[in-house]
Amino acid sequence: MKRPFRILGLVRGRSYDALAEQQKKAEARAGQLIRHLEEAKANSRLWKMKAEEASGALKKAQDAAESAQRQRRQAEKLSAEAEKQRQVAQNRSADFALLQRRLAESEHELSVAREQLMAIEVKLDILEGAANVLDGRTRDVIARRSGTESGTAV
Amino acid sequence: MMTAGDASTRPYLTIIATGRNDDFGGDFNGRFFRALHFNHQQLSAAGIAHEFVFVEWRPIDTRPLLASLLADEFAAVTSLSLRCYVVDPAYHDALSLNPRLQFQEFIAKNVGLRRARGEFVLTTNTDIYLSRRVIARLQERTLAPGVLYRAARHDLKPERDVSAVDWDLLEDERNCEVVNGIQPPLFTNASGDFLLLDRQSSHRLRGFNEIYRVAKIHIDGNFCVKAYASGIRIVDIGAPVYHVGRGTLHAQIGMYRARSHEAPWGDMRWKSDMIYENSDAWGLGLARERAIDRGTTFLAFDWHAVGPMVDLGRVMSSRKRQERAS
Repeated sequence: MKRPFRILGLVRGRSYDALAEQQKKAEARAGQLIRHLEEAKANSRLWKMKAEEASGALKKAQDAAESAQRQRRQAEKLSAEAEKQRQVAQNRSADFALLQRRLAESEHELSVAREQLMAIEVKLDILEGAANVLDGRTRDVIARRSGTESGTAV
Repeated sequence: MMTAGDASTRPYLTIIATGRNDDFGGDFNGRFFRALHFNHQQLSAAGIAHEFVFVEWRPIDTRPLLASLLADEFAAVTSLSLRCYVVDPAYHDALSLNPRLQFQEFIAKNVGLRRARGEFVLTTNTDIYLSRRVIARLQERTLAPGVLYRAARHDLKPERDVSAVDWDLLEDERNCEVVNGIQPPLFTNASGDFLLLDRQSSHRLRGFNEIYRVAKIHIDGNFCVKAYASGIRIVDIGAPVYHVGRGTLHAQIGMYRARSHEAPWGDMRWKSDMIYENSDAWGLGLARERAIDRGTTFLAFDWHAVGPMVDLGRVMSSRKRQERAS
């Protein structure tokens, strides 16, 4: 007897209630699913946003790491350069001290040379004076001889 | 009274000056006698035992000896111990390295320096007046051996009447024309007017340069250089000496500015900062001496007393002298 009702699309009241109840539950379930879906969507957006943020932060961190790496390399380069400059300065300092010593030696030698030159000039003055005096005396002697010999037939 | 001096009584001070009877600079003898009278009076008044040694270099044969005129002038001054040395003019010719130099002033002063008897010896010029404070310093008898004392020379205006010189005239600032200041370390300016040193140190230095005889100017300053290089301390005695006028060099220097090689004092640019070591025979130490007049000795010419014409080994730098001294 059941089948004919079903064929006619009729159901017993009890079944109808059960079905209605089922439908209600299904709808509630569907609603719940929809809410879950919405929540999931919202979560998904949130996570997506967080993922994007994380991705941005990661990128920043990567950039910072690269920058730090670059700076480290730069620092190493500068350090090497500073070491090189320190070495150069040290060498220059040694050169400067050497040059100062050489300058002092040169000044001393120059002073000695000047004094020697001065001594030579003085000695030349004396020799010139002596030569002039002797020349004068010689001329006097010759003049006196010439005087006594004047009139002599040549 | 003229005395030859007694070697056993050593005066505290010998004053040495040189000149001849040639009226150098005008009224040479008058200026000389006035200064000598004044200095002797002041030294005597202060009780300073002193002698005066005058060296007459290259005397002029047609004129009386200045030494004789000096003896006449001071014949009545019994307190004065005066010794004169007249140097045979042949020494001037024998020592000459520059015929333009008429008077080898510092070799003449060496003659006196070598024969000085005083504990201290002042080489000066004939017309220099000692100041009151110089006299006071001598009176204290606090001069140290091994110290060369120098004094600034104050030149008085030449128009002043100096027939009667006294402290008022000398010390009146209105009469002063120029102060020839002296500066350390060598104090060379006008040093020929006041070089006061103990006799032993003077002899150790062997007096003024006799090696470089091409010029006579700045030989006095060269003595300061030699003293300094020999470890002698040079100080300002802290009192002046006086001179009337600015001197003959100042009067003549303009005439020879353009022809310095013809100047009667030689070339002023000679190397007076070199050292010239005299021989043992410095100051005509080997000359034969003969008494000729009251307190006057004649140094007769003798080639043995004349060193070689050229003795280049005696020229040295002050550095070398300092090394030797140290």
